[in-house]
Amino acid sequence: MNIERVREILDRAYEENRKTLYEYEAKEIADIVGIPTPKHIFIEDLESLDTDKISFNEPYVIKIVSPQVIHKSDVGGVVVNISREQLEEAIKKMIDTVKSKVANASIKGVLIEEMADKGVETIVGYIRDPQFGPVVMFGLGGIFVEVYKDVSFRLAPLSMEDALSMVKEVKAYKILSGYRGIPPSDINKISDVITRIGDLGYKFPEIREIDINPLVAYPDRVLALDVRIILGGDYG
Amino acid sequence: MDREIKEKIKYLLYPRSVAVIGASRNPRKIGFQVVYNLIKDGYKGRIYPINPNADEILGLKCYPNILDAPDDIDLAMIVVPASKVLNVLNEVVRKKVRSVAIISSGFSELGKKDLEDAIVNICREHKIPLLGPNIVGIINTNNNMNLSFCPHLPFKGKITFITQSGALAIGLIGWTWASRIGISKLISIGNMAMIGFEELIEFLEEDRDTEAVLLYIEGVKNGRLFAEVSKKVSRKKPLIAIKAGKSLRGAKAAASHTGSLAGNVMLYETAFKYAGIVSADGLEDGFDKALALSLQPPLYGDNLVVVTNGGGAGVLSSDYAEKFGVPLKDLPKDLVNAVKELIPPFGSPNNPIDLTGNAYRDDYIRVLDTVFRHPWVDGVVSIYVHAAITDPVEIADGIAQVWRNYRDKPITVCMIGGREVQVANIWLRDNGIPVYPTPRRAISAMAALRQYGLFLERERGNGGMVRNKEISS
Repeated sequence: MNIERVREILDRAYEENRKTLYEYEAKEIADIVGIPTPKHIFIEDLESLDTDKISFNEPYVIKIVSPQVIHKSDVGGVVVNISREQLEEAIKKMIDTVKSKVANASIKGVLIEEMADKGVETIVGYIRDPQFGPVVMFGLGGIFVEVYKDVSFRLAPLSMEDALSMVKEVKAYKILSGYRGIPPSDINKISDVITRIGDLGYKFPEIREIDINPLVAYPDRVLALDVRIILGGDYG
Repeated sequence: MDREIKEKIKYLLYPRSVAVIGASRNPRKIGFQVVYNLIKDGYKGRIYPINPNADEILGLKCYPNILDAPDDIDLAMIVVPASKVLNVLNEVVRKKVRSVAIISSGFSELGKKDLEDAIVNICREHKIPLLGPNIVGIINTNNNMNLSFCPHLPFKGKITFITQSGALAIGLIGWTWASRIGISKLISIGNMAMIGFEELIEFLEEDRDTEAVLLYIEGVKNGRLFAEVSKKVSRKKPLIAIKAGKSLRGAKAAASHTGSLAGNVMLYETAFKYAGIVSADGLEDGFDKALALSLQPPLYGDNLVVVTNGGGAGVLSSDYAEKFGVPLKDLPKDLVNAVKELIPPFGSPNNPIDLTGNAYRDDYIRVLDTVFRHPWVDGVVSIYVHAAITDPVEIADGIAQVWRNYRDKPITVCMIGGREVQVANIWLRDNGIPVYPTPRRAISAMAALRQYGLFLERERGNGGMVRNKEISS
């Protein structure tokens, strides 16, 4: 793990007085610690965008990057299924929409990602609790977490075996083991992400919370589509 | 915490001499009750009442000041009003007393954090462990020490109960006698100004008089330390926790999904799991589990057999076994055949084994012996439903007689019959067998033995058999 680079990213956010990392920063940290993310590129200077130079394939997902926008999709800051041809136009439109909804939004740039295939949506989380220290969470996305609060927790850092037992502990585990035409998900890769997120939080006390939501699981791999890292642990 | 302080915790529980500062001749005062209880319950150490206005209390010579006591003092129990505690404590320090406990209230629980901090600082500076303030007292049945205002000693045994609620300590003493739940120590920890769960649990790791530790927790001082210490101690002896107080703190402060889901209760449960602590749902469940874990070996493996004389109780056990994570399995063929020989044709030779209502003492003995003897079997729940023709004491004695030969496999017993089975229950408990009034509770206790056994198996990185092996860290 390139600890120096992670430190740099966290320090920059701290200096800029940002509690939530930009998504492209969080994704870079994910890449560093070995959590797979979709291919992506962060465009800061939108004037110089040359869509032909994007090395990965369409369709794309575009996401707004703005310090004022935390819940991106609530304000039209996420648009999916865009072809290379539509890209410039779609970006302009997204920025207008966001600005009309968040009056003072300063646009830092746009994150362009390869659109991921459908899979089983899971959530992997981390929190540094004032009492118990580093803790990781796992659950299945959508109603399982939102409505049933069907999640499991462990103190971090944790072993691969512990992480596997967390995955198997949730009631919705059946869905991961293959259910009504849904192929079985790669629970070893999910568990690997859980241990890595636990190690990351453990090593950096200034990280207060992490949400990977969703971490999409496929039969042979996983992909972190959205990563949020919130600071404020020992930084106060 | 300072090592010297930790090493002196033993003086809080096994003092050779106790000074009661604020001892009183007035029977309505706690300062009287504490001295009275020490004498009445036969404390096996020296008692020094301290009070400047009395010459004698309950026949004991009373000293105006602790400095006048003609002896080394292992433990000073302070019962003077909060406003006088600092003065008294300075004398305690000059006397070089080895440990201090404070029954008096009126500290951080009433907003007087400064006063409490001042007391802690003095104790820390002089390396004296401090229990309290705001406690009911300390009870140890091993030296007959009722250094508290609890009416009498609890039933003697191997469970040490550490409680954050003093009133619970008082209330439960009668219960321990009624249900013959054996208590080693009862420690009220009050405001936990210095000594908390973390330090006491660590002390109990090496305490030979404690086989199981039961905790009543509202909140610990340091969750992470609590989890780490408990995990270490769990490798040697079981911990059981009753967690009270549900907080919405997590839901309020969080900026993420994870944060909003990680409530207080959830995190405590997570820490319990990490540390191998058996979680209990309230007082009854806590004592049920502590009783089993203090008397019986852990359940290694999960081949559980239920032996009953009543079909309904068997079906219920089967349901609860599944619910509590120790589902009943079909018995091996040879065991089924062996049991078939021993029971009437209208009984059931498979799990749960139904001996039928005609089963006498000898039937229980023969079948239980056959079951325990079989290598496939890891543990047994034996059920007796009181029937008109059988004597529950005879049955109880039969069960105890068989288990005596298979002490490495755990047993819990359910005796259904209320008053009719009271004597049998006492007989079983006095023979080291935990007994419960319903199948649910007997199975739940066995599930606790399994939970602890599973923790030990995992800790040793060994999914296989560890039965008969000494537990070591």
